Amino acid sequence: MSSSSLSTRLTATFIAITALCFAVVGFLLYDALASRLIAQDDTNIVLAARHLRRLVAEVKSDADVIQHRDRLVAIVLGDPAIALRISDAGGHVLIDYNPSGIPLEPMAATEANERITQQNVQVWRDLNHAPIDGVATQASLADGSHVVITVARSLADRASLLSRLRRDIAVIVLAGMLLVALLSFLLVRRALRPLRTMAAQAKVITAHRLDARMSLEQAPIELQQLTSSLNDMLERLEQGFARVWQFTVDLAHDLRTPLSNLRGTNEVALTRPRSVAEYESLLGSNIEECERVSRTIESVLFLARAENPQFALNLVEMDLAEQLGAMADYFEGPSSEAGISIDVSAKGSVFADRELFRRAVNNLLANAIRYTPQGKTIFLRGLAHADEVVVSVENPGKGIDDEQLERIFERFFRGDRSRSDSANSAGLGLAIVKSIMDLHGGSVTVQSQVAGLTRFDLRFPRTPGFDAQPPPID
Amino acid sequence: MRLLVIEDERKAGEYLKKGLEESGFTVDVAYNGIDGLHLALEDDYELIVLDVMLPGIDGWTVLARLRAKKETPVLFLTALDDLEERVRGLESGGDDYLVKPFAFVELLARVRTLLRRGPPRDVEHVHIGDLEIDAIRRRVRRAGQKIDLTPREFSLLQLLARRRGEVLSRTQIASYVWDMNFDSDTNVVEVAIRRLRVKIDDGHDTKLIHTVRGVGYVLDLEEPG
Repeated sequence: MSSSSLSTRLTATFIAITALCFAVVGFLLYDALASRLIAQDDTNIVLAARHLRRLVAEVKSDADVIQHRDRLVAIVLGDPAIALRISDAGGHVLIDYNPSGIPLEPMAATEANERITQQNVQVWRDLNHAPIDGVATQASLADGSHVVITVARSLADRASLLSRLRRDIAVIVLAGMLLVALLSFLLVRRALRPLRTMAAQAKVITAHRLDARMSLEQAPIELQQLTSSLNDMLERLEQGFARVWQFTVDLAHDLRTPLSNLRGTNEVALTRPRSVAEYESLLGSNIEECERVSRTIESVLFLARAENPQFALNLVEMDLAEQLGAMADYFEGPSSEAGISIDVSAKGSVFADRELFRRAVNNLLANAIRYTPQGKTIFLRGLAHADEVVVSVENPGKGIDDEQLERIFERFFRGDRSRSDSANSAGLGLAIVKSIMDLHGGSVTVQSQVAGLTRFDLRFPRTPGFDAQPPPID
Repeated sequence: MRLLVIEDERKAGEYLKKGLEESGFTVDVAYNGIDGLHLALEDDYELIVLDVMLPGIDGWTVLARLRAKKETPVLFLTALDDLEERVRGLESGGDDYLVKPFAFVELLARVRTLLRRGPPRDVEHVHIGDLEIDAIRRRVRRAGQKIDLTPREFSLLQLLARRRGEVLSRTQIASYVWDMNFDSDTNVVEVAIRRLRVKIDDGHDTKLIHTVRGVGYVLDLEEPG
């Protein structure tokens, strides 16, 4: 049922409800009318029997009864469906008026002094199964002898009336149902038209036309929420697609440079014989380009893996001073060669995946060393607060302008286009930092003043039992 | 020592054979899983280098059938950069793995580690030419002259000396000396080597620390190649 059409279900429900109402009302009407008719018929013969008993009381003898036949029969004369029989105490029929030949049956007769009521009416059926009402009563004549008066009436006319009524009601109910079916079908169709409009609008939205949106104005209030949710979803999908597309383009571009270097240097080298030293240098250069490609692929795969909710973090408690000290020690060589010092101050501990923590700090420190002028100091700090642990890397330099700050964590974003020749900055380092912080349920923020200090803050949740948030769906 | 390389890609099989043979191993190459499994079961190899993605029967199946009969160490080569796959590789009895693309020296180092029986000996005294390293007192002399090294410089020298003649990649060095187990995209190792070289080789005719461009560094009396 769950997959059948909404309009079919609504229409069917309407029809069922209407049929039930019509049937109940029809039955009640029929029942009321039928019992009224029965009561009426019963009353008629009861009254006739009473009247006859009173008249007979004035008659002197059996013979007199026969003599007064016309007078007595006149009581029931107007009705051809009625029969009257008066017989004496011995069972001899004195009067037998039965124009329509109603089959009479023997009945218990009411006592002469007993009141005749509808309770005394008996019912039987003729050969055509039409019901017959009958009542029998004893009556005292003036001479004290008794006769039995039997009045019977065929109810064939009533039965046919009722059967016509039943048929009429059935026809009316059926016609009503058909009418309701038609109307409800049209109504439901009309009411669901906005859904069909939405479906038609949705049909034209493809990966190539993700900018299309569903119209809100045409949607009824009940559907506006759904429509705007769908539009929001489309918005997110469009952005996601755009990002993936941009990512693919950037990735292709990033791979093209080392590949074209590889091809070019090899082609040039092969155009004429070279010395062994030249070949060795070429092969070394080839390997460097390969490393560049490998590194890009490794970074891209890391980012893709980090978006998988199944990514397993190995969270351990680590001493901040020890970890940051190790990072500063690792960078001691390059920084002192560049005439930069790294100042470490840290207190407390952090719950994090050791490799990922080091990787994040590594990427920030590598950047900081790249952009810090000679003779200056990079500050590497780690501080455990009540609700979070903040690791910050701060360095003086030319700074990052606001426009770049907004996009700095995007993949393949290079703040400094002129450095794109450098194999060092594939433009994925900060995206990886963000990814690592997302995996930890933390965040990374950056503040920078042009020609001033630039500071990156890594915020880790304080407790290890936090619910690691899956990274946002990009 | 006999090694078996099971690798469907011809170029890869050929360079692995060449590289490993030049490093002193005897190498057979099988270009599909069925031949590879057959060879692995028929012959006795010291080690098998097994590509996971193979036509016919894949690396996992080869391993499972091999393990039913033999305990030959296996080094997996995989392009599947997926933690789950790695765990699967090790749990099913493989001994180590390398994710493609890898550096050949990396592969060579893994092969040597797998073949080395027992833990590596911690040599107390190393003599290479006129270089002496006293591992216990952490002292270094060259031509009788004491050389002062920082702890990092000492462990770098110790690593190179212990693996004398073996080219070590920057990643291997960073992992051993600083415990940085990711490609960190910095010139930390170059700087460290440069500084060590100044202390060890400057003023001596015989240079001990050599650069193999694009590949890594090696410590030996002669230049590699």
